[in-house]
Amino acid sequence: MNKLHYDKLQETLYHEVMDNGLHVYVLPKPAFKKTYATFATKYGSVDNHFKVAGGEETTVPDGIAHFLEHKMFEEPEGDIFATFASNGASANAFTSFDQTVYLFSATENIETNLSTLIDFVQRPYFTDENVEKEKGIIGQEINMYADNPDWRVYFGLIEAMYSKHPVHIDIAGTIDSIATITKETLYTCYNSFYHPSNMLLFIVGGVEPEKVFELVRTNQAAKAYDKQGEITRIFEEEPVQVAQKHKESRLAVSMPKCLFGFKEKPEGLTGEAAVRRDLTTKLMLDLLFGSSTALYQKLYDEELISDSFGHEFNSSPQYAFSAVGGDTKDPDLLLKRIKEEVNAVLASGFAEKDFERARKKKIGGYLRMLNSPESIAHEFTRYQFRGGDLFEVLPVYESITLDEVNARLRAHVDWEQLSVSLVVSP
Amino acid sequence: MTNNGFQHGNAAGMRIHVLPTKAFKTFAISLYAGVPLDESTVTPTALAPFVLRRGTATYPETMQFRERLEELYGAGFGFDVYKRGDYQIVQFRMDTINDSFVQSKESLLGESFAFLGEVLTRPLLEDGSFRASYVATERETVRKKLEAIVNDKIRYAAERCIEEMCRQEPYRLHPLGQRADLDSITPKSLYDSYTAWLNGAILDLYVVGDTTPEEVERQVIRHFGRAHKETAGYSSNFKPVAVSEVRTVEEKLDVNQGKLNMGLRTSITYSDDRYASALMYNGILGGYPHSKLFVNVREKESLAYYASSRYDGHKGIGTIQSGIETQNYGKAVDIIRKQLDELKAGNISDLELNQTKAMIRNLLSEIQDSAFELISFDFNRQLSGKDRSAQELLAQVDGIGAEDVKAAADTFQLDTIYFLTGKGE
Repeated sequence: MNKLHYDKLQETLYHEVMDNGLHVYVLPKPAFKKTYATFATKYGSVDNHFKVAGGEETTVPDGIAHFLEHKMFEEPEGDIFATFASNGASANAFTSFDQTVYLFSATENIETNLSTLIDFVQRPYFTDENVEKEKGIIGQEINMYADNPDWRVYFGLIEAMYSKHPVHIDIAGTIDSIATITKETLYTCYNSFYHPSNMLLFIVGGVEPEKVFELVRTNQAAKAYDKQGEITRIFEEEPVQVAQKHKESRLAVSMPKCLFGFKEKPEGLTGEAAVRRDLTTKLMLDLLFGSSTALYQKLYDEELISDSFGHEFNSSPQYAFSAVGGDTKDPDLLLKRIKEEVNAVLASGFAEKDFERARKKKIGGYLRMLNSPESIAHEFTRYQFRGGDLFEVLPVYESITLDEVNARLRAHVDWEQLSVSLVVSP
Repeated sequence: MTNNGFQHGNAAGMRIHVLPTKAFKTFAISLYAGVPLDESTVTPTALAPFVLRRGTATYPETMQFRERLEELYGAGFGFDVYKRGDYQIVQFRMDTINDSFVQSKESLLGESFAFLGEVLTRPLLEDGSFRASYVATERETVRKKLEAIVNDKIRYAAERCIEEMCRQEPYRLHPLGQRADLDSITPKSLYDSYTAWLNGAILDLYVVGDTTPEEVERQVIRHFGRAHKETAGYSSNFKPVAVSEVRTVEEKLDVNQGKLNMGLRTSITYSDDRYASALMYNGILGGYPHSKLFVNVREKESLAYYASSRYDGHKGIGTIQSGIETQNYGKAVDIIRKQLDELKAGNISDLELNQTKAMIRNLLSEIQDSAFELISFDFNRQLSGKDRSAQELLAQVDGIGAEDVKAAADTFQLDTIYFLTGKGE
C-alpha cells in the first residue's frame, strides 16, 4: 500500500496494484457518510478495432461497448440492481469515448456493496435471449437521443470534423448496428478489455484504506486470471482537415442550435504533457469565450447568444477538438461576428490581468470539484487512463504562463480547421 | 428548530440558518425568497433576478460583475426560479472557496456576503429604475427560455402534464412566468415589482462551512442593511383535490419517441404524518431500478429505456414518466395502470419493502455529504412548517409495513394521462 499526501489539498491517497494488474486507489474522506466507488475499464466507443497480443485482429459493431455495459447488469439470478438495492446502494454505469465505468454510492454495507460491484463486473452472463431483449431497450435509448437537439448538434460537430476516427460514431451505435450484436461478439469484447490489468478501482469516502485493500486482495486472489498481453487499438489514419465545414440536422427547435469548433492535428500526447495541453487549452477557451469576456458580453447584448453559450475541449492521443456555441437566432451572423472578435484577440493576445483572473477562477473551480466524491472518482480515473494525476493539477495551473496561453490560442484557432454544426427546425 | 446541525436565528429581517462544519473546502450560501405563486406577479418575479445579475451599484457593467466573481477564486454564483407547492421561490446560490486553501488577501466569506447583499439590495439604478437595456435584453432571455422548453421533449412532456392536470390552479403557471406578460414590463414597472417582491418575500439565508452564526449575523447586518418588515413564515393552504375521472390529453409534435406522462393526486403532503408511507409508495412504484415500473415496463417488456415515478410532497402530486414507441401506447398504459392497481391491492413483497427502505435510507444519509443538499432538506422543513429531522424521517420509513403503503396507495388517484406523440403515420 503506497501513501501519497497532498498537503495543499489536505488529501491523502492510497494506492496498490493487485497481482493480476488491477490498480486500486482509496481516498479516505473521514467526514463523509457515503462511500462512492467506481470500477472502470479503459474501453469505450472508439475501441471498435483492436488486437490483443497473441490474438486476432477484430472489428466489432458500433455501439458494442455501451451494449456490453447494459448487459453486465444481468446475472443468472436476475438483475444486479436488486442486489444493490437490498444493501442500500444506488448503482449505475456509463460509457464514454474511451472508458466504461460501473459505480455505486452507499452509506452502509460498504464491504458487501464493494464485493457486489467487483463481482458483477467480473462475471459476464450473456445469452441469446437476454441480448435480443436488450435491443428493444437500447433502441429506445437511441430514439431518446435522436429527439435531443443538444446531443444532435454535438455529435453533428464531431461527424463534421472526423471521417475515419471512430470518435464520430454515436456511443450507443444505431438501431442497425446493434441489431448485429450477438453474445459471441460481446464475449470477445469482454475478454479483450475487462482484464483487471486494463481496469481501475477507485473508492472515496468514509473508509479505512487497509480494510479495503484486504477485501480487494482476497477477492481478486480467488479469481483465476491469465496474464494478458498488450491491447493494440487500431485506428485508420484520420485526415488532418475537417471532413465537412458545415453540417445541418433537422429537428423541431425554438431557435437554431449552433456549435462550432477547431479540429487539431493529433500530437499523441499522454501523461503530464497531455494534462498541461488540456488545462492550457481550457484556460485559453475561457479567456476567449467565457461569460466575463468582452466577446461574450457584446454578442449577448446583440442577442446573438444566450446563457446556453458554452465551450469545451475534448482530446485523446488521436484527436483533439473544441466545441463552442449554443442557441442563436442567426447562425451566419453569429459566426461572422465570432470571426471578427476572435481575430481581434488573435492580433492582441490576452492581457495579463485577464489571464491572472481566469487562472484564479480555474483554481477555484478545481478546489470546488474536490467537494464532490463523484467528480473526484470520475476525474481521477480519466486522468489516470491518460497517464496523468488529478491531484497534481494545482501546480500545473500555478506554472502556466501567459505566453503559453497566447501560443495555445494561436495554435488552436485556425480557420481552415473550423467545422460548424447546426440543428434547425424542418 | 435545533436539530440537523443548523443553528437558526434572525437578522436584517431574514431568517438565518448556519451549519458550522469543516467537512467542505467551500462556504455554501443559499438565499431563498418565496412569494405565493400568482398569475399577476409570476412573470416580473421571475424576470427580476435576471436583471439583478446584470449589474449592481458597485459593479454596474456585467463584465465588472462577472470579473468580481472570478477574482473571488471563481466563486460560484447562480440563481434558480421554481415552484414549491403554491409558492414561487427564487433561490440565489454562492459557493466560495475557504480562504485556507488559497493565498487570498480578502476574507472570501465576507466578500461573498458583500457581493450577494449588493446583488439583492443594491441593483444598478438609472433615474430611479433599472437600466433599460438590461431589462430589454433579459426580457428576451426569459422569453427564449420559455420558448426553449419544447426543445427538451422529456421536460416538455413533464411540464405539459402538470399544466393540464393543474389547469384550474396557480400551479399550472410556469415558474419563469408567461410570455404574453413580458412585453408590458418596463424598467420602472419591474423596479416597482422588485421592491414589492423584496419587501413581501419570505427570506431564508443559509450558510454551510467553517464559520459561526455570530460571524454570519455580523456579515448579514453589514451587507443586507435593508430593514425587512418582519420575519414571516410559510403557510400551507393545501386542500386535497378529488379526482372524478381520468383525463387523457394527446399532443402531436415532430418526435421520434413518444413521451408518456401521468399525473396523480394524493392527500398526503410533506407535513403529513403519513409522508413516510407516501415516500415508500413512490419508491416501490418507480423511484428506483428495482421498482415495479422499471422492472415491468423496461426489463420485462423492453418497452422503454426509462420508466419512473416521482412524488412531490409540497404539492401532493405523483408523476410517472416513460419514453416509448408511439404504437406501444396502449400496452404501456395498461402495464403502468396494472402497477398502480397492484399497489392499491397491497401486492407488495417484503423484498420490495426492504429494498426501498434501504434506498431511502441511503438517500437521506447521503444528504450529509453535500452542503447544498443539507440546505435544501432544511429549507423543506421551513417551507412545510414540519419540524422533522432526517433521522426522525428515517425511523418513520423504517417502521412502514405493506398495509401502510397500501393505505398510501389509496390516496394516490390517477388524474391525467398525457401523451406526446409523433406527427404523421
